[in-house]
Amino acid sequence: MKRVIRFSRFFVPAVIISSALILFGLYGYFTKGFNLGVDFQAGINQTVQLALPAMSATYTDKGNAEVRISDSALTLVLSGAESDEKTLVFDFKTYPTIGDLAKALGGVNGISVSVEPGSEALPATLLVPTYEGNTFLSSAGLVIHRAPKDASEQFADIEQVRQALSSLGNIGVQTLQPASQQRFLVRVQDEGTDPNFAANARAKVKAGLEAKFGADRVVVIKTDVVGARYSESLTRRVFWLILGTLALILIYSMIRFKIEYAIGAVLAVVHDALIMVAFIVWSGMEFNTQSIAAILTILGYSINDTIVQFDRVREERKLRPNEKFEDVLNESLTIMLGRTIITTFATLLTVFSLIVFMSGSNRDFAIALLVGMISGTYSTVYIASAFVLWWDNHKEKREKAKLAKSGSQASQPAVKA
Amino acid sequence: MSKTRRLIIVIAVLAICFAFLYPSLQWYFWTPKEDQAIAVGSREQIREYSRRTAYSIVGDLKAKAAAGDTTDLSKEYPLEIQLAKKAYKDSGRPLPKVWNAESILGAYQNEKAIFDAIEAKYREKMLGLKSVHGRALQLGLDLAGGMSVVIQADFQDTAKRVGHELSAAEREDAINRALETLNNRIDQFGLSEPVIRRQGADQIYVEIPGTADPDRINSIIMGKGNLAFYIVDTDATTALRQYLMQNPLGVDEKTMTVAQAGIVPEGKIVRKVYTKDSYGLDEFTGEYMVLESTPGLDGSHIQSATVSVDSITGKPETNFVLDKEGGQIFYDLTSNNVGKTLAVVLDERIKSYAVIQEPIRESVRISGFSADEAQSLATLLRTAALPVTLSVVNQQAIGASLGEDAIRQGEKAIIIGLLAVFLFMFAYYKGAGVNATIAQIINLYIMLAVLSAFKLTLSLPSIAGFVLTIGMAVDANVVIFERIKEELRAGKSRKASIDAGFHKAFWAVMDSNITTIIAALFLAQLGSGTVQGFAMSLAIGNMTSLFTSLFVSRLIFDFETDVLHMKHVSIGWGIK
Repeated sequence: MKRVIRFSRFFVPAVIISSALILFGLYGYFTKGFNLGVDFQAGINQTVQLALPAMSATYTDKGNAEVRISDSALTLVLSGAESDEKTLVFDFKTYPTIGDLAKALGGVNGISVSVEPGSEALPATLLVPTYEGNTFLSSAGLVIHRAPKDASEQFADIEQVRQALSSLGNIGVQTLQPASQQRFLVRVQDEGTDPNFAANARAKVKAGLEAKFGADRVVVIKTDVVGARYSESLTRRVFWLILGTLALILIYSMIRFKIEYAIGAVLAVVHDALIMVAFIVWSGMEFNTQSIAAILTILGYSINDTIVQFDRVREERKLRPNEKFEDVLNESLTIMLGRTIITTFATLLTVFSLIVFMSGSNRDFAIALLVGMISGTYSTVYIASAFVLWWDNHKEKREKAKLAKSGSQASQPAVKA
Repeated sequence: MSKTRRLIIVIAVLAICFAFLYPSLQWYFWTPKEDQAIAVGSREQIREYSRRTAYSIVGDLKAKAAAGDTTDLSKEYPLEIQLAKKAYKDSGRPLPKVWNAESILGAYQNEKAIFDAIEAKYREKMLGLKSVHGRALQLGLDLAGGMSVVIQADFQDTAKRVGHELSAAEREDAINRALETLNNRIDQFGLSEPVIRRQGADQIYVEIPGTADPDRINSIIMGKGNLAFYIVDTDATTALRQYLMQNPLGVDEKTMTVAQAGIVPEGKIVRKVYTKDSYGLDEFTGEYMVLESTPGLDGSHIQSATVSVDSITGKPETNFVLDKEGGQIFYDLTSNNVGKTLAVVLDERIKSYAVIQEPIRESVRISGFSADEAQSLATLLRTAALPVTLSVVNQQAIGASLGEDAIRQGEKAIIIGLLAVFLFMFAYYKGAGVNATIAQIINLYIMLAVLSAFKLTLSLPSIAGFVLTIGMAVDANVVIFERIKEELRAGKSRKASIDAGFHKAFWAVMDSNITTIIAALFLAQLGSGTVQGFAMSLAIGNMTSLFTSLFVSRLIFDFETDVLHMKHVSIGWGIK
């Protein structure tokens, strides 16, 4: 038989450390608060890029011609009857410079392209992706923008953007990395005074920036709008959601196990959620619907982990009813250690892959998951199992006390006699 | 259960899943992007597309035949030749030897027959693709790109305007009319057909895939229905109809002008006539009308509109009441134009028209409709009378290329994450690792099929959910394998160890998955958007992983034992 690891020895210090971390998190929550994402704050969230015009294209043939630019290619979709229906993909590897791309695009029937002087030789990857707005070509000409090629072409920084928008009231500006591409996140809070806030604020941001930097130099990448009523109802719903889920898990595990296991499992889950809250607060990560999804996942993951463990503890206990519970617990934790390590490692592989390959809020989501998973694995042993042991010891003591009491009563007549 | 029966169950499940996944494969892998662009459009756009396509094909064939071009066109016009073959067969004539322009045209009696046959073929093709799209796995806005808008109906504002609090029935009516108005504008939204649905008592949710142009979309959503009455120029309308018989594409759809001058008198306008199709959506009837350039009466004068039944003829009629000023204008208009046709125009579309029998004052009755038509006309008129104030409360716009980038990232993350897990399982569990990998691949496949079957949307959070589910699903395999190892260490045979391993691990796997499923299903009921997609994929993944880890993986082990007569279990290092 393998050597049994005495996990129970570390139960007390672990609970102290966990409590300290959670208190620290709660302290942060009440003093600092979440860095709330747009889902929870009424207002608009706009990603804008201050760019330079690279070329302008017109289309005069019949049907529709739509240009889409992504990180790696320019796609032209020609559709509608009477036109040659086709999709042309101009890969930036095959057309490395803006000049090459313009030449290829201009070769399509009905399209003519004029490149801004100085842009021909620049790499095509500088082009600003077409994310929001109208990307259909018409006779009026669609301007395609590019990011500055180097520091010498940069013309805007966060202070200038703030200045340009200072008349809008309560605004927040953030530089998105890398700073050289001049992309900013602009947040305007909805004060609730303007019924047509969404449309007006958007127009004002654009107008403010255009007045400062020039009409052809502002590209809106993405706009999110959240109304006051929407964000309120979301917060309330999420709270009840989590409470309801915990109640259901408690009931099911009470039916399948004993009450101390059920409480232990739920305590572990609450622990993990609070650890994640602490992490999100102190890392300054944005708190949005994805963070909620991450916490909810960990709820599922942690309960899964705990139940598998408890199943084994219960089984071992039935096999050896006369042994001390602490020893039974330590032994089943040791037996399951292999499984815990392998499962955690396998799941971590997928989460790491999400962290490495995703970006932006999805990456934050994966990092939050990572923290939650580590906490979830840890809490199975040091919170859930520790609670069950504590309950058992406590029960034993109570029983002993009861026994002692009834014992002394029983012995009293003997003394008299 | 015998192995054969279990194998049949597994194969049946896989086959059913394939049936659910088939439309997705067809749409995402076998349909070219340009066909997709047409197929996701509105029915009207599809109709317009097929008309124009048929017209240009017939034109091309006619030109070739006239020029005496006898080249074989099998490559160029396979669809048309297929149609022509059928036409030859139906009329009992022998098939021509060569398929050139003349022999294709020769299949039909006249030009209209060719035109109709080709048009119908293209329309069927696109409508078929449209239905495939409906059954395929839907991509969320974060992956496909597009906009979602939540619109709030402001009843208080409307109440202020009409001068009294709105009753529950009036609110219901108002929100339904707002929905109706948006549905009427469905093909103005851009290339793709939007999702428009009611959300709760006073909200409307609009999702527009593909387009992410907030300004345009907002002007469509927030623009009030513009209703007006126009006098029809009957002579010019007849002339236009005759001209269009010869030149089916004589009207430019974008500018609504006629190619040949002189048909439409100076200063008059051309509009299309619409009816409702069986979906309650606008359908172009193919008819055009020439109208006076200024409306005879603006819709803002309408006070109410109802449907009643004529007491003598029993036919339904639409009644509407005008305000005083409007009544006078309408009286002047109708007395000057008795015998002419009056058209009801909403947002540049002719929705209905009737001949003016006599001068009419403020209370107007229009008859000559079916009950449904009368009802929809009344609704239309009421829309103009009492528009509810709408405001955008939530809006998200994601460009299509942002979605493409996200998909690429997600793809990479999933593939590499899964490969890493599989390699790890091979390395650690050897033979049993292969077993687990097969089970997980089947798991992934079933998950996608279930997602398709329930018409759930695949979004980025749900992809992340899947990756994580795979990680968790591996846990079921690990729990079972570790049990088998314990039994093997205790000196049991292959068969006995596997039996005992699965038996003892059964409840651990069940309990842990059921608690997760409970949590996930509960979230899916109450959550919205992101949370819901995520929770559903978690719940589905947990259910399918129960099937693959307890059933499929077991079957593979038994197959190895009984059919391949394996004596040992390859389940890791140092164990025989």
